[in-house]
Amino acid sequence: MKRHPLIRLLSVAVAATTLAACSSGGAPTAAGGTFTVWDPYPQFDATSAWAKVVDKCGADAGVKITRQAFDTTDLTNKVLLAAQQNTAPNVLVVDNPVVSTLAEGGVLKSNADTGLDAAQVAPNLLAAADVKGQVYGVPIGANTLALYYNKAVLTAAGVDPASVKDWASLDAALAKVHTAGKKGITFSAIGTEEGSFQFLPWFWGSGANLTDLGSADAVAALAQWKSWLDKGYAPNSVIGNTQTTSWQEFATGEYAFAENGTWQLQKAKTAGFDYGVLAIPARTGGAAPAPTGGEFVTVPAQSSPDAEKTAGKIASCLTSPANVGDSDTALTYVSAVPSVQEKQVAAQPELKVWVDAVKVAKGRTGDNLGTRYPRISEPLWGAVQAALTGAKAPDAALAAAQATAASAK
Amino acid sequence: MLDTREPVTARPAARAPGRAGWRRKQQLLAWAFLLPLVAYLVLCYGYPLVTNVDLSLRNYTVRTFVHGGAPLVWFDNYAGVFTDPTFRTALLNTLVFTAASLLFQYGIGLAMAVFFARHFRLGPTLRALFLVPWLLPLIVSGSTWAWLLNSESGVVNSVLGWFGAGRIDWLTSPSWSLVSVIIANIWIGVPFNLVVLHSGLQNIPAEVYEAASLDGAGAWQRFRHVTFPLLRGVSAITLLLGLVYTLKVFDVIWIMTKGGPGGSSTTLATWSYQLGFGSMLPRFGPSAAVGNVLILLAVVAGLLYIRAQRRQEEA
Amino acid sequence: MIRRWRTAVGLLLTAVMLFPVYWMVNVSLTPAGRMRKSPPDWFPASPTFEGYERVLHEQLPYFATSLFVALGTVALTLALAAPSAYALAKLRPRGHRALGFVLLVAQMIPGIIMALGFYGIYVALGITNTAWGLILADSTIAVPFAVLILTSFMASVPDELVQAATIDGAGVVRAFWSVVLPASRNGVVTAGLFSFLWAWSDFVFAATLDGGGSMRPLTLGIYRYIGNNNQEWNSIMATAVVASVPAAVLLVLAQRFVAAGVTAGAVKD
Repeated sequence: MKRHPLIRLLSVAVAATTLAACSSGGAPTAAGGTFTVWDPYPQFDATSAWAKVVDKCGADAGVKITRQAFDTTDLTNKVLLAAQQNTAPNVLVVDNPVVSTLAEGGVLKSNADTGLDAAQVAPNLLAAADVKGQVYGVPIGANTLALYYNKAVLTAAGVDPASVKDWASLDAALAKVHTAGKKGITFSAIGTEEGSFQFLPWFWGSGANLTDLGSADAVAALAQWKSWLDKGYAPNSVIGNTQTTSWQEFATGEYAFAENGTWQLQKAKTAGFDYGVLAIPARTGGAAPAPTGGEFVTVPAQSSPDAEKTAGKIASCLTSPANVGDSDTALTYVSAVPSVQEKQVAAQPELKVWVDAVKVAKGRTGDNLGTRYPRISEPLWGAVQAALTGAKAPDAALAAAQATAASAK
Repeated sequence: MLDTREPVTARPAARAPGRAGWRRKQQLLAWAFLLPLVAYLVLCYGYPLVTNVDLSLRNYTVRTFVHGGAPLVWFDNYAGVFTDPTFRTALLNTLVFTAASLLFQYGIGLAMAVFFARHFRLGPTLRALFLVPWLLPLIVSGSTWAWLLNSESGVVNSVLGWFGAGRIDWLTSPSWSLVSVIIANIWIGVPFNLVVLHSGLQNIPAEVYEAASLDGAGAWQRFRHVTFPLLRGVSAITLLLGLVYTLKVFDVIWIMTKGGPGGSSTTLATWSYQLGFGSMLPRFGPSAAVGNVLILLAVVAGLLYIRAQRRQEEA
Repeated sequence: MIRRWRTAVGLLLTAVMLFPVYWMVNVSLTPAGRMRKSPPDWFPASPTFEGYERVLHEQLPYFATSLFVALGTVALTLALAAPSAYALAKLRPRGHRALGFVLLVAQMIPGIIMALGFYGIYVALGITNTAWGLILADSTIAVPFAVLILTSFMASVPDELVQAATIDGAGVVRAFWSVVLPASRNGVVTAGLFSFLWAWSDFVFAATLDGGGSMRPLTLGIYRYIGNNNQEWNSIMATAVVASVPAAVLLVLAQRFVAAGVTAGAVKD
């Protein structure tokens, strides 16, 4: 009957693909002596420098390492689920604003318990992991935001990058670029944490504080973004842009400025045009405090204090000044340790702008905001979206956001 | 399929003794056939459902989620959900999204099914190619549509520009975001309707059409008075399943607009995800509550369908 | 003449429907600097094959796993659904209506809720990060639908056919295997087709239950190109293109298989 050839085809296909799929590698099955490391770097496979450092640190601590990489937006939930089932990883590399949430949830062990040494790390970078006086983890590196600019576009418009020192001069530069027929600035104002992240340098640079979203300073920052959209200096797509999409817009060579982060440095070099970097200006001059990006190496709670100590050793090894330089180069992060920062600048002088920016950067969960930050950030990006789409005026949008943030649990 | 006819192996009126025992044997055999399915249903669907209801009745913090001990708060989460201003928006968007998607998916799917019902060269191949959208992971189809509908660099706006129309902010304007996700969802839903309706059309015997043509009916009349009524059963189930699947749709909307801007494309499904996984501080209780409201809506639709079916059988 | 007209219209309709797929191919060949060009390039002006190179070097194991999981899901779904559909369509036990309703309700549960529910059980049973676990999970997407559609196909198999077999001495099981199942071949292929497609494109179950396994499907393989701060779009699109081609071939073959048996009862021109 005609049905049988289909079944035969199916069985052959199943057999063939089983063989092929099984050849994709086996997972180590040893119980004791294998530690798991979870990180948000799926772009690094087993042959990458990062993976090699992880293996080396495991070997130094006397254990074999199984590494799993997750999409960063997924990682928090995975960790929570795993912790609930007592299958949390031994070492966890996680985005810094999440550390306080995990620590308060009892998922992480403090550095005092695990022996992790954070003494060499710059205090402003450590603040994100400081919960009620205890520190939970060590930064692997830091990144932050600055303004990339396209030299050719600025020259053609008659703008000197060195003249962009505050908001007024930035607006003037954008106006000139717009008159010259090019596009002004691109950034990300998407309705997720990325949007808040990109808005914060302007928010803080205006003098506003996250505890009062409705202040006049905050409204000024949002009004500035809105004015850029209205005048055509920034494209409408910023409302839906991720930082990657925004970078792609800049990479077309049509834009004068792009607000983006340290991690784009490698891409900038292959962009095909001459670029420069300058610090995001504060409203009345100087560099605006930008939010710290970058992950922390943390140690989740485990079945035995010995396991926690070993995990602590692995974490220390990953973040030690000797090893962290290679990881930071691979990630294009700035090191969190000042002495290593100097080495980085010596090797790559263009990193100086970034190192300076990182020195004045602020943690989002710092200022003792901790787990209150997510409840503030969400209404904040909502307000940005409402204002940029014209649904609400900036002051009304931020007032509503402050009301939500204040009443949130 | 849910009907009241007698089991096919039963015999008519005049029965020999022992028929009742034979009938019982049939019933037992039937349930033996069904036993694996029933066990599967209880384990694979019953358990997650019960877990979700439990999640929605408790107040979870991160600590109690991980370590246990979340207190029962009964219907507080539901009260919170119903009094949240987002609920009205999400509910309205869900209804609009579902109705518009179903209407066009079914309509276009039916038109395509009728078109492909006739044999012509490359017909089967083209029909198979219509299913290619289903091969793509939703992150890819969602992202592709986001690309097409980008305000600045999207090809749709570029084509509109040829005809002199102004730029439409498909994904970034509160007035258009829902329309955009509906369009993408229709595109994703047409293959399902096409395949099922086409199968239904194949089951209509040719003699019925011949009889109609002999009576002098034209193509459109044949469709209206012969094909369409005979498709009623298949149409009903296609629409019901379409409803159930569309209510669950979340990936496409999340990838294209994240439910925004400003909640303008938030549906109950995306809201549930946003509460549970979309922020850095998850709220599992309310998220599960919204999920259960969604399931309840679908159950109501299912009950209405069964009632309509039963009324049709009695007619 | 009419047939050729139909073919032309068919090609046009298919082209319109597949335009987004064409765009996906277009993006996969576009270098980074031209991706957000306004207005966009309709043809890749200076194509880059970098995405495809990466895919061929990195994605083949994921693709093989996807194929294995999808075919396994088809097998499991049909094995569960076909006998059940037969019982519901032909044996019609008491309570079949309630079961039909339960099957409907089963499909109403959003995938993320299912995945979270499974996670605990899977950890307890130790089947997280296995392809078999994923097959079981993916089958839950397809089984209720498969039962419903097979029931409707089997119900339309003429009762006389079954009674003839019974008179010849065939038992219920024999009637199922040798009469009803072959006669509802269209339904079997349709159910199998949908199971394959749903399992192939599943992401929620794969991400939650097989996130760290050594055999992971390509929906997770794509995440290799979604770093913590960056997304490699031409690699992502290239993965989708490369993965879709063999699966599309399978689809075309399956459809031919369905069409081949349907000559009696086909609508006449």
